[in-house]
Amino acid sequence: MESLLMNILGAVTTFLLAFAVGMTYGGLRRKIVARVQNRYGPPFYQNFIDAFKLYSKSTAIHHGAMHFLGPAFIMVSSVVSLMFIPVLTNNQWFPNLNFQGDLIFLIYIMVFGPLGMALGAGQTGNPNSAIGVTRGLSQMVGFEIPWVMALIALMVQYKTTSITGLLDIQVQSGHWFMFENPFAFSAAILASLGMFRYSPFDIVGAPTELASGPMSENGGKFLFVMMSSGSVFAFVKLTLIVDLFMGGASNLIILVIKTFLLYMIPVTYGIVSPRYRTEQSITYFWGWPLFFGLIAIIYAVFF
Amino acid sequence: MDIINIILVIFFAGALITAFAAKISSIVQDILFIGTILATSIIFFLNINTNTETIINLSHINLTLGLTPLSLYFAFIVFGLAVLAGFYAVGQMQGKKKKGYFYFNYLLSIAAMFGILVSKDLVSFFIFWEIMTWSSYLLVIYNGENVQKTGIKYFVLSAIGAYSMLMAIVIIHSLTGSFLISDLISGFNNMSANMQILIPVLLLTGFGVKAALMPLHIWAPDAYSNAPMSYTAIFSGALSKMGIYGMVIVFLTLITKLPQETLIRDIIAWLGAITAAISTLWAIKQDDAKRLLAYSSIGQLGYIVVGVAIGTPLAMLAGLFLAFMHGVFKSTLFMVVGAIEKQTGTSNLKEVTGLIRKMPWTFIAALISIIALAGIPPLGGFVGKWMLYESLITSNHYLLVTLVFFSSTAAFLYCYKFLFGFFLGQEEKEWSHVKEAPAIMVVPMLILSLISVVLGSFPQLILKPINSALSYYSLPDTYNNLWKESMIFNKWGDQVALTPIVYGVAIVFIVFAVFLFFKNRKTSRYVTTKDISTSGEVPKEHENLTFKENFFQPFLRAVEPAMKRQMDKYMLAFAKGLEDLFDFTRRIYNGNGQTYAIYAIIFVIILLLLSNNLFS
Repeated sequence: MESLLMNILGAVTTFLLAFAVGMTYGGLRRKIVARVQNRYGPPFYQNFIDAFKLYSKSTAIHHGAMHFLGPAFIMVSSVVSLMFIPVLTNNQWFPNLNFQGDLIFLIYIMVFGPLGMALGAGQTGNPNSAIGVTRGLSQMVGFEIPWVMALIALMVQYKTTSITGLLDIQVQSGHWFMFENPFAFSAAILASLGMFRYSPFDIVGAPTELASGPMSENGGKFLFVMMSSGSVFAFVKLTLIVDLFMGGASNLIILVIKTFLLYMIPVTYGIVSPRYRTEQSITYFWGWPLFFGLIAIIYAVFF
Repeated sequence: MDIINIILVIFFAGALITAFAAKISSIVQDILFIGTILATSIIFFLNINTNTETIINLSHINLTLGLTPLSLYFAFIVFGLAVLAGFYAVGQMQGKKKKGYFYFNYLLSIAAMFGILVSKDLVSFFIFWEIMTWSSYLLVIYNGENVQKTGIKYFVLSAIGAYSMLMAIVIIHSLTGSFLISDLISGFNNMSANMQILIPVLLLTGFGVKAALMPLHIWAPDAYSNAPMSYTAIFSGALSKMGIYGMVIVFLTLITKLPQETLIRDIIAWLGAITAAISTLWAIKQDDAKRLLAYSSIGQLGYIVVGVAIGTPLAMLAGLFLAFMHGVFKSTLFMVVGAIEKQTGTSNLKEVTGLIRKMPWTFIAALISIIALAGIPPLGGFVGKWMLYESLITSNHYLLVTLVFFSSTAAFLYCYKFLFGFFLGQEEKEWSHVKEAPAIMVVPMLILSLISVVLGSFPQLILKPINSALSYYSLPDTYNNLWKESMIFNKWGDQVALTPIVYGVAIVFIVFAVFLFFKNRKTSRYVTTKDISTSGEVPKEHENLTFKENFFQPFLRAVEPAMKRQMDKYMLAFAKGLEDLFDFTRRIYNGNGQTYAIYAIIFVIILLLLSNNLFS
């Protein structure tokens, strides 16, 4: 009984940590983008204020059952994938469900959310939502390919598909996979540009074009759940790349430093790039990222 | 009399009586139809075991019938689907013409599939195979539309498959002197190297047609979408698995003994993966739900072929598990289309829209099956997909796994198109009268979706019979190595525990569903899909806000180069070439006596000219 309580406590703590870190990063991004564009920008804690405001609003209208359940689906994906990723290397604080699933499972549970979200967006009947969803799914086919190739390269090189297994190898040998297989790292980073959906890959939300796409028709508590899910998911993606390529983190400060540096890659890339058209943003990932993925697999097999 | 004979006799007698029972009354016909299926299934599930064997003597040939663990596994699929789709068919065929014709062929093809599975010799195998082809052909042309185009395509390709199979059977008999499959397996080592290649290739051609393997797949989209949906559920769910069944036997018993084993395995696996990828792209392009599902079936069968062809224990488990899962979720989806077609009169995704509030139970069945199809945890499809990927990665097929992954990610696109097209989006007045389908159609769909859910947490229910089937063909025991209760492993020892996943997903989902749904449902009011945010303007009642045209156009533009080449066009060009050749021969044999006289004279002149060289 006590262990169960500890487990639940650990899971809740992990969730709160991911929420706080993700929200802060989102706020920092807004600030950085504003400064680059020569604006003053909101304070870095603005996202917390927004979230609190959205949470305290009551919902006046709805479009049916799936409209309610869509945000719940996307939350399932974020939280469950968070539970399967080791947050810290020594793993005593937040063991959660780390040993129960592997990378292939993680890839699949990570796409669960967008699909559930797509159903919720579909029932609202807003054409912008549906257009956004079709773009998002198409783009997903684009970036999943180099991403999966990078992961396959790692799995093949070290003969394991488990996340904790890959992390342990790095901790024991002291070598980061980022340097052991640089091509896999490049492919993964380029794919992560698409995963974060910041400009130039912001075709799903597409401000001023699709009126925030799948998110339109959602306000108040719906938007709160989506926003927190987005923040948690950002943390999940960053931690996963840190675990797989940068040797994990032994304490929270190192984790924050590493994830923040990683987070700056899509952010800074985005600030200076205008939005792609949908087919451009799909085929982008089938150019250099795919090539790096291919080289990564060849490198993993033959060297 | 033996159990197998009894089942076959009930089937054939039932089919005949049902066909003519329309003279008495329509309801009697329905009862006879259901009665035949239920009687055979009950006898099968209660009495059958792998020890039963019976021999029928036909003049000089002994037909040996009996079950192996592998055919028992496939017979589960056939009978399970036959019962559920049978009940559904009674609902769907209500008030339709040619009911006797439909029931007759339906029962006949189930009987033929059972016959194929119990055949232990090649002659009965071939006879039942042909009965299956004929009965399914008659149902493909059931509605009398496009008979020329679809019927002939299906028939020509089935004939190609049947002839190559027949050729293989004749060669086998001349080499071993026996029609028994067991004699073929034991005598295979003594054959010459050429025959050892030729026989498996001929057999695989025959099975590849039914399994819709590229380049033999071109009949499938038309045939699947033309047959009545209650039969397509069987067609795609069970009948295509007969091809897989044959392939499994060929790969497990013949190909393993060849020196060129890896090459053949790789070729077939790549064919399967390419089939999956290309047909997925075509599925995304379809606007008719039937054709969409038909292409999707070809794609899913591609995965199964990949698993079976790779042939490591894990890949075999994956292929056979996916075969079962595909039978479950794809028949549900075809039933969903049938229900919608019955209620609305069309299956065009562009026309029907917003049915979620009108047909909620159908939607639930469709949603669960789509999630299973997409392979998303925690449903059964995930287990099969996971095993397939892991088996490919651990057996060094890195590019193959990337291709399979591409097609299975692209499959999300048509999954969403299917759900969005029928159930979500704008609710239009045109469909405001639509009601939920009758219970006799909805309940089979819900039972099948329940199976998808259960297999997500308890795959051992299916993995156990697969394991015993594989052990029968002397593959190593996989229990505890690759799977145990609610756990799946790969060769490297990495695992996925399914129970914590199911609990995790369920808990988080329920917490947030309560937070969003139950707290807000009372306080908020429902608004129609016209009442949406459109930059401050209020859309009028007549304004069309439906988004259906060019649904995935940007994606299709991105993958355009891959879709330029179509096997259909090549086949048609080949047929055109043949026609031209025949036209040319017709000009030679033009029926004119004078021309023939000239031919004779020319022949004599040539003979005279060459006489020195020829007869010296």
